[in-house]
Amino acid sequence: MGRLVLVRREQAVKGGQPLAFLIGLVSALAIGILLLVLSGHDPMAVYERMFDSSVGSPKSWSITLNRAVPLGLAGLAVAVAGSMGLWNIGAEGQILAGAMMAAWMARIGEGWPSPLLITIMLLASILGGALLGLGPAVARAQIGVNEIITTLMLNEVALRLLQWLIHGPWKDPDSKGFPLAPMLPGEARLPGLFERAHWGAVIALVVIALFGLVASRTAWGYELRVAGSSGETARYAGISLKRKIMTVLVLSGGIAGLAGGIELSGNADRIVEGISAGYGFAGIIVAALALMRPSGVAAVALLFGAVQVGGLSIQTMGVSSSVSTILQALILFGAIGAGVFSRYSLKRVQKEKQVGKEGLSE
Amino acid sequence: MIGLLTAAVSFGALLYLAALGELISEKAGILNLGVEGMMAMGAVTGFMVALETENAWLGLIVAMLVGALFALIHGLFTVILGAEQVVSGLSLTILGLGMSAYVGKNAVGRPPGAVLAPVDWGFLSDIPWVGPILFTQSPIVYFAVVCGIATSFVLTRTRTGLALRGAGESASTVDASGHSVVQLRLGAVAMGGALAGASGAYLTLSLTPQWTEGVTAGRGWIAVALVIFGAWRPGRCAIGALLFGGLLALKTRLQTFGVDFSPILLSMIPYVLTIGVLIAISIRARNRPSSAPAALGQAYRREER
Repeated sequence: MGRLVLVRREQAVKGGQPLAFLIGLVSALAIGILLLVLSGHDPMAVYERMFDSSVGSPKSWSITLNRAVPLGLAGLAVAVAGSMGLWNIGAEGQILAGAMMAAWMARIGEGWPSPLLITIMLLASILGGALLGLGPAVARAQIGVNEIITTLMLNEVALRLLQWLIHGPWKDPDSKGFPLAPMLPGEARLPGLFERAHWGAVIALVVIALFGLVASRTAWGYELRVAGSSGETARYAGISLKRKIMTVLVLSGGIAGLAGGIELSGNADRIVEGISAGYGFAGIIVAALALMRPSGVAAVALLFGAVQVGGLSIQTMGVSSSVSTILQALILFGAIGAGVFSRYSLKRVQKEKQVGKEGLSE
Repeated sequence: MIGLLTAAVSFGALLYLAALGELISEKAGILNLGVEGMMAMGAVTGFMVALETENAWLGLIVAMLVGALFALIHGLFTVILGAEQVVSGLSLTILGLGMSAYVGKNAVGRPPGAVLAPVDWGFLSDIPWVGPILFTQSPIVYFAVVCGIATSFVLTRTRTGLALRGAGESASTVDASGHSVVQLRLGAVAMGGALAGASGAYLTLSLTPQWTEGVTAGRGWIAVALVIFGAWRPGRCAIGALLFGGLLALKTRLQTFGVDFSPILLSMIPYVLTIGVLIAISIRARNRPSSAPAALGQAYRREER
């Protein structure tokens, strides 16, 4: 008899992550089938509808693309912080902050030329997200406050702030007492690209590609990775950790904020509480699945966009849209599991009693 | 005023149960951001079991079991496979919110099958002030108090508690002393899930006896905050729970008190306070050891010690 332990492979399995991702996807779909059958639905019909509505036609592609934009930017925001070993759990709140700032600009700038107004809105959204990221950044860099908790708490603060605006100062007098902000002016709407898709997809792609280039081709990006892998080495090499932490967390917030600005300007009629449909949290899964790499973020965001659009479409069949939520979490769990085995292998070791602990564990 | 304090205790117990669970888990070194999801799972299973069997106690027990099993998903990935705790925990929240919505679809809007009726303390509840505030509560409130005392006792006065805390401070030391880090951590995570499940069931079987999607409404996050606010101590967490519970209770009562302050802004306070406390803890930690478990968030692989 022996005990099973995980032993690190000398080299990770080649192409392990895409493979792990695929395994995650397949196992998620398999568990999904089980769930659907248990509640009396025809799983194949449900999946077919999900597939058709998300990637079955140019129109469905355009809807998926719109959905992938905030997911991709939120994923990038998390990945930017993650490339330095920091966790930005606050993308959800930063998206809201970005959307709030953009909505504010739209209120001020009603009647301005559309390109000007949209540019100002998007810049303001970056500023909004960056501002929300600034607090945790300073706290982490100067005092060493754990950024996971501060960013997490600020999500709730940002949400309350938005609720307060909608219920109070921004409440539309014509909304018959409903807590609704007024409709966005036409000038504040991002122009369309094809079918339902808007220009946000292009902006998001440029931002993701830009960060990918900066991270892989510049000294700054290199320093980032050094600082991420070992603070000690970074200090030795003369890299200012404090400044890096500040830049990265503020930048991360700004990118998430931009997602909020684009979502408002491209997809929404007005700013609402649910302007971010959990994109900030989903972004963390996206970034984790992409192993914090920008190119991976874009691909995973597209897939998650499709899963979410598919999930919304099956409601007309009487199936709860929560299926897509479940699938997203399961994909991640499946991929984590498979990912572990691309770096570790299972070995059986003998009972340790006779040998003594130290002998075997080395 | 008495109504407010009574509600503060009721809400406080809700937060306290979930926070205690998170505290136990974090003490063993496992950060579980899945509280919101585990609460939702407990809330839906508790409600649905009570709906089917008309037995609220059975609902509570099943909710705790489901909470523990659900938490063990996090345990499997973080303790055994060594995955990133933040990612796994958040996924657990997403999974729990999705799964509870899916499972509870047909229970939305239905009247509860059974509720946990307040305990009858006889003449005690007639004592002015103290009576209504302390002795008209749901049995789960007293359960929460017992859990708090038990947790505090086990953590500080028993060998298991010492080993558990060790797993969160220096896992290799505990391992060398002959305890199984994996078992300790899995046990703590499961316990955390059970208490989060109980908290969820308390919500749907007693506090607001009905099931709707998203009924947990971010209270799981307050529980996470509460652990930090209470500096990882069951006693301080209890004080924090009463404070945060009071704020939740005050939210719906501001108008009746004639205070012209937005209840929405009021509900920001717990999160802002927690950030403040976290900063204070971090500043203090420069001079003396931090109150946070040292190995919190770190995977332990014996082979890589």
